[in-house]
Amino acid sequence: MIAQILAVVIFVAMFVLIVLEVWERHVITLGCGLLTLVLVFGLGMHSMGAVWETLNLGSFFTSHFWYTAGQSAETSSGINWETIVFVAGMMIMVEGMARVGFFRWLCMRLAKMVKYKVVPLFVTFMVLSGILAMFIDSITVILFLAAVTIELSQLLKFNPVPMILAEVFCANLGGSATMCGDPPNIIIGTSLGYSFTDFLTNTGLIAGISLVVVVLYFYLVFHKELRASEAAAAGSNQNYPDPSEAITDKKGFIISTVIFLCAVALLVTHAQTGLTVSCIGVFISIVTLIAAGKDALKLIKQIDYKTLLFFIGLFMVVGGLEQTGILKVMANFIGDISNGNLMLMIAIILWVSAIASAFVDNIPFAATMIPIISSLSATQGVDLSILAWALAMGTDIGGSATPIGASANVVGIATAAKAGHMIKWGKYCKVMAPATIIVIVISMVMIYARYL
Amino acid sequence: MSEQLIISVSREYGSGGHEIAQKLAEYYKLPMFDHNLLDEVAASMNVSSKELAEFDEMRRNKFLYRSVMGMNSSPADNVARMQFDYIKKKAEAGESFVIVGRCSEIVLKDNPNLISIFILGDREAKIERVMRIYKLDARHAEERMIEKDRRRKSYHNSHCKVKWGDSRNYDLSINSSKLGVEETVESLKNYIDARIAHK
Repeated sequence: MIAQILAVVIFVAMFVLIVLEVWERHVITLGCGLLTLVLVFGLGMHSMGAVWETLNLGSFFTSHFWYTAGQSAETSSGINWETIVFVAGMMIMVEGMARVGFFRWLCMRLAKMVKYKVVPLFVTFMVLSGILAMFIDSITVILFLAAVTIELSQLLKFNPVPMILAEVFCANLGGSATMCGDPPNIIIGTSLGYSFTDFLTNTGLIAGISLVVVVLYFYLVFHKELRASEAAAAGSNQNYPDPSEAITDKKGFIISTVIFLCAVALLVTHAQTGLTVSCIGVFISIVTLIAAGKDALKLIKQIDYKTLLFFIGLFMVVGGLEQTGILKVMANFIGDISNGNLMLMIAIILWVSAIASAFVDNIPFAATMIPIISSLSATQGVDLSILAWALAMGTDIGGSATPIGASANVVGIATAAKAGHMIKWGKYCKVMAPATIIVIVISMVMIYARYL
Repeated sequence: MSEQLIISVSREYGSGGHEIAQKLAEYYKLPMFDHNLLDEVAASMNVSSKELAEFDEMRRNKFLYRSVMGMNSSPADNVARMQFDYIKKKAEAGESFVIVGRCSEIVLKDNPNLISIFILGDREAKIERVMRIYKLDARHAEERMIEKDRRRKSYHNSHCKVKWGDSRNYDLSINSSKLGVEETVESLKNYIDARIAHK
């Protein structure tokens, strides 16, 4: 009982401290993780076994960490090293791409392709944001896309805020389409043993249909403003930037593009090849570092190690809830209120995940929910994958509703603000909350129609 | 003036700090920045200063906004940072000026040509000054004073690690009620001249 109380107190304290930003979030999760090991497992449970299970260091030395001959569900609890190794690998690859000017070149190339016309640019950047976010973290996508949007808005004299908001939404939506698009999906995929193709054919389909609806939605919301901007820009005779100027190293650019395409191919086929995402992460990072040559050390230094440490601490805290049986209690509670009704169960997981993710970090939320849906599936006899898709869509999309829901939102808002365009809560939610509700409704209807 | 001189004036509401800053700016023939700083910042970005003014000298609400990789979604935080960056650039360019508030004593702390001053005052004297200038009765003047100081304090403390009004942040803290505005200005001139001569 003491262990359970301590686990809950540490978990709640972690959330509160993250919100209050008392310390950096990796310090908070690592501190809370350490407290979990000492207080929950040591003082409360007197169990060294729980400590080792949560640290999960043995997973590195198992063959299925690197290679799976066929589909096997990852059942171990505690620190999900597969997620951490994969995220680190992707970070190195993305840094390598950014270093040679890939993202800026891509944005500028597409802007040139649509002849710098505001409305086609708006639609193109939304789609680009969604597609890039399928493979690259949404923070990087928005960091580059929003910066180019600001640059073009100054050149073409349009208000960049509608475009940035639409890009942010599509980045979060694109992230939901694949296993590697958004951290909750990576954690769900590696924890429950789903492949890239599993995500693409399930959440990917929902995200694809939603993208069409969302493009229409944002166009309808902003079309007057966009048309007026287009008319104003038409008269000006500008010297547009040459996309090739964005490339800082031509040879490196080609190599980075090839590595990126290889990574995509490896991810798409990983269920067939048997290579795990951690194996792919290590491979692409090694290739990127070799290709970077003497800049390799620079790339390693630029790894966002704070995010990796944040993940490690987080998994330890969630491990505390798991080992003490708290998550089973929560799963039983959802099972009881839904009374075995799968429809209600899906609705609860989807909407609760979406609402929670709109206000708190979706990564800890998803990490907490995974053991809950596993337990729910086992006790209620429902298909785990259906619950997993509901959880993925809820956590990935819910974050778009408010300015604090997802990291991409913060980056988009801050980039606009740096150029003097302030986006307040009201302005943000007026546009983004309805779009979030639309996509969550689409997700619910599609999950019901396809799986029930 | 050949040497760079930056005078940062922080002040309690009703202490006459703004007037003192103005008189120092006139005496040393320096431009003065207070709320007008935002107009310059907005003009440099080609945006309306009205849009930014709404968030000027506001505290960042930790419950409503988040930070990611050093970027923040709070308009108040972004407006503050814009101003901090702007005055930093001016200082780095070797410009001399008087700056009122804007956490300038912290933002420009590393500049060797900065002289930071905090003007405080006795409660009764500050209330009397606010009553006289804004034609308010004592109760309303005091309420206004408390509210303004509360906002200044929370703005400063949400953007800086050190506390507003803590004498350790400033080169000089002076109570303007003891000598009045004119004589306080004279005392400050003596101090500033001594600092210039000491360089």
